[in-house]
Amino acid sequence: MFIQILNGIVYGGLLYLLAVGLVLIFGLREVVNFAHGALFMLGAYIGFAVSAAGYWWGGLVVSMVAMAIVGCALDATVFRTLRKQDHIVTVLVTFGLMLILETVVTAIWGKAYLRYPVPPLLAGTVDIFGEPFPVYRLFVIAVAVAIALSLTAWLRFTRIGLYVRAASTDPRITSIQGINVDSLSLIVVGLGTALAGLSGVVAGPLLSLSPTMGNYILIDSFIVVVIGGLGSFAGAFIAALLIGQIHNFGAVYLPWAATILPFLLMVGILIWRPTGFAGSRT
Amino acid sequence: MNPTAQGTLAPSRPRTANKALVVLLIGAAALVAGFVLPWIGFAKITLSLLAQALFDALLATSVGFLFLQNGRVSFGQAAFFGLGGYAFGILVARNLAGPELALLLALAIPTLAAFLLGLVVARVTGVAHAMLTLAVGQAFYEVAFRWRELAMGDDGMSFTLPSKFFGFSASRLQDPGVMVVLAWSILVLVLVSLTLFTRSRTGQIAAAIRDNEERARFIGYSTTVPPALVYAIAAFVAAIAGVLQAVYNGYIAPQMFHWSLSGFALIMSIIGGAKFVIGPAVGAVVLFYIKDVAGQFAEYWPAIVGGILVVVTLTMPQGIIGLAVKQWRRRQRR
Repeated sequence: MFIQILNGIVYGGLLYLLAVGLVLIFGLREVVNFAHGALFMLGAYIGFAVSAAGYWWGGLVVSMVAMAIVGCALDATVFRTLRKQDHIVTVLVTFGLMLILETVVTAIWGKAYLRYPVPPLLAGTVDIFGEPFPVYRLFVIAVAVAIALSLTAWLRFTRIGLYVRAASTDPRITSIQGINVDSLSLIVVGLGTALAGLSGVVAGPLLSLSPTMGNYILIDSFIVVVIGGLGSFAGAFIAALLIGQIHNFGAVYLPWAATILPFLLMVGILIWRPTGFAGSRT
Repeated sequence: MNPTAQGTLAPSRPRTANKALVVLLIGAAALVAGFVLPWIGFAKITLSLLAQALFDALLATSVGFLFLQNGRVSFGQAAFFGLGGYAFGILVARNLAGPELALLLALAIPTLAAFLLGLVVARVTGVAHAMLTLAVGQAFYEVAFRWRELAMGDDGMSFTLPSKFFGFSASRLQDPGVMVVLAWSILVLVLVSLTLFTRSRTGQIAAAIRDNEERARFIGYSTTVPPALVYAIAAFVAAIAGVLQAVYNGYIAPQMFHWSLSGFALIMSIIGGAKFVIGPAVGAVVLFYIKDVAGQFAEYWPAIVGGILVVVTLTMPQGIIGLAVKQWRRRQRR
């Protein structure tokens, strides 16, 4: 039972890392990055390529840095140029980018599933209430918790964090106050995509690598973001844990309905509150 | 009042009637032209591909119509495409219904489902709507994928058509020449009906709600039913496409529900011009042509489509038809 809860938290943690990136980007640019799942996937492949050379931790760092650069480029070229257009246009462009990234990865690494190794430091299991549990999964939980804590601290106690919160509430008023939303956005989008890269590498050993590995988790993280309310950090955290638990308990106790439960929950929440349970914007 | 002023004011009403007539005439001409398609010497494989392009055109029309009338971008329209195809395939394969009743149910179920979903989904706007429809559409895919007893799950299910369909030999529907004419005729009828709908009272109310829901409600219109009706109509069109594809291939598979299909249909409608009823269908045919030309790069096809989408949204957000209309107006002004 406790092991099941832990497994749910592992998946919820991965979802949180993706969803919080979506929320960060949405807060500043009011667009949802449909390429986020593809960046998750690309991050996993880059990490895989580096770790194949024997540097697992190097793979983690390289992947995050590479995704941060991709994110900054995305913001500077796409989000900034299209900021005056209807937001749905930007969403469509990110969808196009997703198709391109998936094809590029397929061309380089092929369609076959690849196995991402677990680092030697985190191999093996520990006993939790008499049951073995992989150390690596604990590591995933630790990463998600560390990110959640440091992100909250960053948003709450630093000057830039204050600006980000302000811009997430209302980008226009914030820029009228004299804050350069464009350079702020560069940081925030870069951070969001770096988290997608981190999530991809961390998820690598749990899921197997394939060019479409980002699609399934992207949809789950969309559900998280919609349930939590677009633009809400706390909402994303709670919804990610909730969906993680539903995903896991559903798979164990209600296998026939497991994949549908998150969708049903989402539709139910939206009937109750169209902006999600913690959201104020649509 | 001087006669010239009268002359400029008076024709406004007859002119709108004329436009409806023009739409009908163009439709009739297009309908007749369709019967020529199989006879101008296309290879059988081209005709078969063309039939597929016409199914895509119907699906893209469905997505585009939702955007045109409700202002909502859907990433899950394939759900109704798949639902139509699955309902028909399963009912026929299990002998639960005759083909005529199966057809009726296969069109009615998605339409009704979309109406009910529309009552909820229409409340969500913009980017959130895109995410929501994507998730809802994918829920259908998951069911079709996992539920093996329904229709063989991941493998898909082939079925044989009954011998007679509305008194005609059903196997002829799997002949590309016949299917192309049928699909073309249906597409033309759908486009004409949708054009007339946008000009109808309900269509105008839906457009008013799209532009400003609060104001429409304030004037006294119900703002939940007309958008849901548009969802239903769009789903009806998608279901027609799904049934046609299922009949033509004699095969249904979960990919009919997949969001990549919804996404491609959306891309077609953007490329063609989603602000026009006919735009999505044009986009589908243009993409079909490009795919034919780019045949040797088939494995990079998603990237090519993605690239085209990025270029189109950046340089001509109104799509092909939008660009054509702009050019035409500019020429007229000279």
